[in-house]
Formats: sequence, C-alpha cells, structure tokens
Amino acid sequence: MKAPSLGEFEELVLLMVAALHDEAYGVSILESLKSKLSKKINISAIHVALKRMEEKGFVKSRFGGITADRGGRRKKFYVITAFGKQALDQQYSIRTDLYQQIPKISFN
Amino acid sequence: MKPAPPNVALRFLRWFCREDYLEEVEGDLVEVYESHYQKSPAKAKRKFIWTVLKYFRPEFIKAFNIGQNSTTMIQHNTKIAYRNSLKYKNTFFINLLGLATGLACALLIFLWVQDERSIDKFHENDDRLFQIMQTFDLGHTKETVDWNPMPLSDALKNQMPGVEYVTAAYPPSNYAYPGKIKLEDRKVKVRAKYVEKDFFNAFTYRLLAGDKSTLLSDKYACAVSEDLATELYGSVDEALGKAFSYELGKYSGEFTISGVFENMPSNASIQFNLAFNYDLYTSFNPDIMRWDYNSPCVYVTLTEGTDTDAFENKITGLLKKNFPETEGNLFLRQYSSQYLYGNVEDGKQTGGRISYVILFSMIAVFLLVIACINFMNLATARASRRTKEIGVKKSIGAKRSDLIIQYLFEAVITSFLSMSLALLIVYLIMPQFNLITGKQLALVLSAEMILSLIGIAFFTGLLAGSYPALYLSGLSPIKIFKGGPIKSVSAFIIRKGLVIFQFTISLMLILMVFTVARQVEFIKTKNLGFDRDNVIFFNESIPNYTTFKNHLETLTGVVSVSAIRGDLTSGDRNNTTSLEWEGKQEGDIVDFDDVLVDPDFFSAVNIQILEGRGFSDDMISEENSLIFNQTAIEQMGLEEPIGKIIDMWGKNWTIVGVVKDFHLESLYKEVRPAFFRAGTNPGNAVVKIENGKTIEAVQAIEAYYKEQNDGLAPDYQFLDDTYDRLYAAEQRVSTLSKYFAGVAIIISCLGLFGLAAFTAEIRLKEIGIRKILGSANSQIVVLLSKDYTKMVLVANLIGLPLGYYLIHQWLSSFAFKIDLSIWFFVAAAVLTVFIALLTVGFQTLKAARVHVLETLRE
Repeated sequence: MKAPSLGEFEELVLLMVAALHDEAYGVSILESLKSKLSKKINISAIHVALKRMEEKGFVKSRFGGITADRGGRRKKFYVITAFGKQALDQQYSIRTDLYQQIPKISFN
Repeated sequence: MKPAPPNVALRFLRWFCREDYLEEVEGDLVEVYESHYQKSPAKAKRKFIWTVLKYFRPEFIKAFNIGQNSTTMIQHNTKIAYRNSLKYKNTFFINLLGLATGLACALLIFLWVQDERSIDKFHENDDRLFQIMQTFDLGHTKETVDWNPMPLSDALKNQMPGVEYVTAAYPPSNYAYPGKIKLEDRKVKVRAKYVEKDFFNAFTYRLLAGDKSTLLSDKYACAVSEDLATELYGSVDEALGKAFSYELGKYSGEFTISGVFENMPSNASIQFNLAFNYDLYTSFNPDIMRWDYNSPCVYVTLTEGTDTDAFENKITGLLKKNFPETEGNLFLRQYSSQYLYGNVEDGKQTGGRISYVILFSMIAVFLLVIACINFMNLATARASRRTKEIGVKKSIGAKRSDLIIQYLFEAVITSFLSMSLALLIVYLIMPQFNLITGKQLALVLSAEMILSLIGIAFFTGLLAGSYPALYLSGLSPIKIFKGGPIKSVSAFIIRKGLVIFQFTISLMLILMVFTVARQVEFIKTKNLGFDRDNVIFFNESIPNYTTFKNHLETLTGVVSVSAIRGDLTSGDRNNTTSLEWEGKQEGDIVDFDDVLVDPDFFSAVNIQILEGRGFSDDMISEENSLIFNQTAIEQMGLEEPIGKIIDMWGKNWTIVGVVKDFHLESLYKEVRPAFFRAGTNPGNAVVKIENGKTIEAVQAIEAYYKEQNDGLAPDYQFLDDTYDRLYAAEQRVSTLSKYFAGVAIIISCLGLFGLAAFTAEIRLKEIGIRKILGSANSQIVVLLSKDYTKMVLVANLIGLPLGYYLIHQWLSSFAFKIDLSIWFFVAAAVLTVFIALLTVGFQTLKAARVHVLETLRE
C-alpha cells in the first residue's frame, strides 16, 4: 500500500499537535496556528485536517473530561502517533537535505 | 449568562453532522463563537453560521438513514415493473412507443416554439423599444402601415419628452436594399439600410470597432457588419476607416467605414449588413421632407416609466399639428411583438404567427395526452391481471398510498424510458425537421433543457399514471379474493370516454390537414391576374436599364423585358392619399399604391387592360399619364374614368387606362387601389421567358449580366418560387400538420390496438363457445368490433362540428379562401373509422380464427 501522504496544511496541523503535546484540541491548535502564521484560519479547516490525519493514522484522539465550559461539551484531544512522528521526520529530513543542496547564492 | 450561538445553525449542524464528530465540532465551534462574541456579537453570529455551512461536506455528513424500508420498496417496485414489462411485452411496447412518439413530437414543437418566441427578443431595452405605426381612417375601413412621415423622427428627437433614442430607417419594414460594393477589382453584394446613428443604441448590436459617438457622423460614413468587414478587408480592425465605392443610382458614392457592428443573429427580423447614414437619403430627396409623405419606419426607445398611452396621444397630436388634414393616427407597437403579433386590424394588433405557435403548442399537448390515455386505458383494462397482487399487498398491510406510489412509480419509469427513446428520435429526425421548418434548431442539452426534459418526463409519467394508480389502489381485497370479475362501471365509462377523446382529436387533426393542404394548394395556383410562370424577377434595380432591356430582347428564349419599382410580391411600395378627382367628396380618402413601371409592363406580364390603353413608349407624352387598377376606380367612384384629370402633388394627371386587378402581395390581403406611372428606369427588371427555353435564356441573361457587372452574378428569382416562399409559413404548417396528424392517428390506433387485443384475450372462452355453437368468424369480428366502432362514431359526432368551427376560424384570416365542402368532413370521418376498424379488425380477426380447442382447453 502506498504510504499516506501529508498535505502542507496537514503538516502544519500535525506539527502543532506534536508541539502542543496532550493539550492539542481544535481551538488550541487554531489559536496557536493563527498566531504563528498570522493569517485567518477557519476552525472547520482544522477539523478536516485532523479527521483526515486520524484516518491515515498520524494522530489519535481521546475525549477530555466534562467541564462547564463550551456548553458542557467535551474537548477532543489529539496526540501524534509514532507513525505520524515518522512522517514528520521524513518530511523534515527531505527538506533539510534539499535545503543543504542549495549552493551559496548571493542576492545583490 | 453565556451567549447562545444562532439556534437555527446549531440545529442544522446537529441534524446533518456525524454523531461521533458532533460533540467535538460543536464544542470547538461554541468556544470559538464565545471568544468572537466578546469582540463583535453580530460578526460572531455570521461567522458561526458560515462555519457551520463549511462543515456541510461529505466527511462530516452522517449516513442518513433514508428509510431502509423505502429503499427496499423502490427495489421491489422496480422489480415488479420490470417483471410486468417482460410478462406483457405488447402492452409495454405500446406504452413505450406511444409515449416516446408523443414526447418526441412534443419536444420538437417545444424547440420550435422556443425559437419562435425568441425572435427579436434579444435587444437590451426590449420592453421599451417601440415601432411607431400609423393607422389611416379611410371611412369604410382602417388601414395600418409601419411607415411614417419623413420629418417625424426629427420632431420626436427635438420636441418630445420621454424619448431616449429615436431612429428612422429606410426602406421601411424589414426590407433592405440589395446593392454592390466596389473595392479595387472586387465586387461584393450587400444589403443596405439607411438608419440614424441611434439605431445602434435602440437596437443593441455591439460595436466591434469604431465609436458610438462618431458612428455615421458624416453623410458618407457607413457601418458594416462583422462578416462584411471580414469579407472586404480580412478583419474587423482593418476595416475601420477604410473607404469603398457603392453603386445605387443617385445614392452612389465613396463611403468610409465608421464602425463595425456584430452580425445580426438569425432570430432578428431586420437583417442588413451595411448601414448608411439616413441623412444621405433625406438630403437626396429634399422634396419629400414633408409631413404628408410617408416613407421610413421610426423606432423609439422610451425612457423608463414613460406612459405609452399618453405618448401615443402626444405623437398623434404632433402629427395633427404639422399636418392638420391627416387621417392618420400614430400608435406604438412593441418592436419584438411584430413577429408573433404582426397582423393589425382596425388599428389594433390582433395576432399573426402567434396563432401557429398556439396551434402547435396545443398539438404538442394533445399528442402527449393521447399517449398518456393509451397508458391509462391499457393499465386499467389490465387491472384484472394485477388484482391478486393488489389483494395480497393490501391484506398484508400495504396502505393505499403505497400502492398509488407503486403505480405512479411504474408510470414514471416508463415515461423516463420513453423520454430517452424520444431524445433519440428527436436527434435522428432533427435535420428533416429543420428542413421543413426552415430553422436551425438543435437539441442543446443545457442545464435548463435537461431540467425541462426531466420535468416533462416526470409530469407525463404522473399524468399517465394518475388514473390507473387511483383506480387500481382503490380495489377492495375482499372482492378480489371472492373471485368473479372485477367490474367497474365507472372505469369502463372513463375508458370509453378517453378513447372517444383520442379519436375526436385525431379526427380534428385530419380535418385540419385536409383544409390546410387544400388552401395552400389553392393559393399557389390562384390566378394572380398576371403571368408568373416562366417569369424571372431581379431583386435589384438594373443600372443602364435601357441597354440591358434592348440586349436581352435580342436573346433567344426571352419573350419580353420589363420593370417595376419595388418587389413584385412583398407589397412594399410607396403610397399616397393626396389625389383629387372629379366628384371626390369631403372625407373620401383612398390610399393608393404608387407604382412606377416600364411603359410596356402590362403587356410584358399579360395584365389585361380593361379600358383605355397602356403606356406608349414615348416617355415625354406619358409624363402626366396615369393608369389605375379596377379597385382604385371603384373606390374613387368614377363612371367613365378615361380622360379624367387627377390633381396630385400639385400637378394635373390624365387617366389613360384601367387595368384588371392583380395581386402585388400576399393573398391574405385584398387587392389595394393602385395607380401606375411610366418611368424609363423604374427599378427591378421582370423578364418573361419562352416556355421550354428556360435554361438557355437564363444562361444567356446571366452571362450578359456578368459581362456588364464585372463578373458578379445577378440576384434574381423565379416568380413562382417567390410565391411559394410567400406562403412558406402555410406550406410549413401544412407539411408539419400532416406529420403530426399522422402521429396522432398512429398513437391513437396503438392504444386501440392494445385494447382490442386485450378484449379479444379475455373473451377467448366466449369466442370458443360461440364458435362451437356455430358462430361464423365474421359474426365474431362484428361482435368484437361493435363497441369500438361505436366509440369512433361518437368521436366523429363530436369532432366534426368542433373541427368545422376550428377550420372556419383559421380560414377566416385569408381574404381568398377555399369553400369548405362537405366532402372534407365525409372523407375525414370515413378515414378515421376505416383506420380504427382496420386496427381493431386485425386483432379481432386474429382472435376469431383461433382454434376452438385451444381456447377451451384449460
């Protein structure tokens, strides 16, 4: 079977999930990404990415406890799986590798 | 208190969202909403709704349980429908074929009607674009023309509020001048019209090159169509600013192209490819710039909100102010309505082609209904075959609505299958249909079209299935299982009624076919008062007419050469009311056609001179001579016309002759009063050719014409062809109605065929017993056909008077028409009865000849 691919936005979300370790749920990912990227993101985009990655096995999820916030609805926390980490590492190494191949170019 | 997100959006989300995602999504959404709410509540709400909509995508939509039961039922119904169609192939094919033919005809008519209705409708300000019409009150009658006084357009521009654009156009109506453009060594034929520059504002043809403000600004500036520009100079941009020479008598000259307009689409009724400045036309005719001279058409775009009635009063006032003696009244006609509502009676728009549109729309509906009736009849007649199914279903708890849905579903499936077949039929016969209608229709499967098709198929299915569904679902299971025949008096009566209805319509269509065909034939062969066989007619005025005439007369096969101003057949000619004669009463107004002819025109085309003489060749002595037609003399009330003096245009004229009436236009109209003047170069040449020498004469004429006109082919036609074309609409209706009537009969017979076959089948045992007891085959045929014969006879009884009324109405629009003879009706009646009996007889005979043993063996 072909290895599942990792889209650009998915990669960002996955990095965030990994970075926020155990504190990653929809809104927290949204807020962090927004501040990092300083651009508008819709929560639905995050959810789509999370659901797709969960299906591909890059992340797994669990429900948090019930609180009075959010109209009593539970948060769903995501954590990166080993497979997800591997995908990130692979992506990272490809990029670093390519980056290092760039000759020294002077822009003047 | 926490802010609550928009309830509707939240409920929508809960309705469609997957349950395992819902809590997370909803929670996150609410959290985001709450934080947005602190900044701007309104924005937060909008954002919330927008975001909810964004979740409406496959990944988040739950697997809706579209009622497992209903999917099963659909499967079940499909299966039953399929098995039934296999089991009763005859019925199925009769239904399929009938519906498909009906639908195909309806589709073709639908396309045709759509095209007819689109004509001239594409101008941007269509609802405000009017044509000014003039009605003359002639005492005994009113006459309406589309030409207006010469100064009208200027007066409208300068003195009338509420006008956005005005444009005069000459020649009037939809005519254009044929002419030639000379460009270096090439000559190109064109069709030209003199228009004012606002023409392109009122009629919104886009300018592809040039500027609206400078368009036609100079007297010798012109505008050409895209095609003409390309033909002349290779491209639109190249053409701008170029000059060419144009020949048309005194209007000849060097013209500069000031603009290129887009080609006029085929659904525009005014067609030309060269627009000249109207000022050129008026500047060459300063003597006709009078209020009592009617010539151009005037089109206006009114500003939004202008009251048309008030405007009509104002322009009539304007006319009366400038020309107090006029009997004319001006009124507005929406430009795009002239195509479908072209007829004017008593100064009011009455109808026109719209009657064909209505006629064919009705035929379309009738054909569909006839086909649906077949379906209903066969379905209810065969009810006995499905009673057990109905009984069992009802016993185990099927509701009546379930059964109704089942039968409607079957009908809709058949209808959709038929629609696919119909599309194939339409596709196959489209070229033929276009040939008959003279249109370029195509079945374009646009989204709109597909929706219409689905709609039509669905509607047809429901219509066809409605009665069977109600009837079958209403059967009582107890009666069914008790055994015995399912007798329903009402169903029987309705079935009979439907058959009668089918045949009434078929009969009426047959009657119509007879009448239309006879009337068209009558018109085509009617004596017009002059020769039209072997006469060729030039569509242009001939330069150097005298030389042309002298030469042509030496050619073998040419009998005579003559000429007349204007088109022989179109009725497009000048007219005037300014004649004064001896004994003319106050209020006597006759609107005469003013026709300029070659002195020997009458002898050339064999028009009989009743009194006096024709024109002599000596033009100087004929300068003040007039010849009138019979109608004119009658309307003037002159007893001894020859030698009488007529005062017209400030000159005295002498009547030298009276000619027998002849038709110069469509036979829809009576012969108009006309007078004839002699001229040396009156216009379009008319050449009579010896019978049997047509080919060589025409070749010689063509060769000579080419020699004289730098190799350009002449633009001429045979007069009898022209007449045929004049009645093209009738000819088309005639041909089309033949086909549609044929289809109606075929569909009706299909139904009858099915019914007869069925009756024969259920009476098989009866037939067997009768035969054993000594019945002859013929007696059995009579027995079985009796019912159907009665139905068809009743249909005749209803259809004949109804048909008489309808064709009488149709014929009344012709001034010259056939007499309705009783034989039409007899023939139509006999034909329907014969066809019906043939259909039924075939089936019954088959039944009668079945071997007795086979029928009785169980």
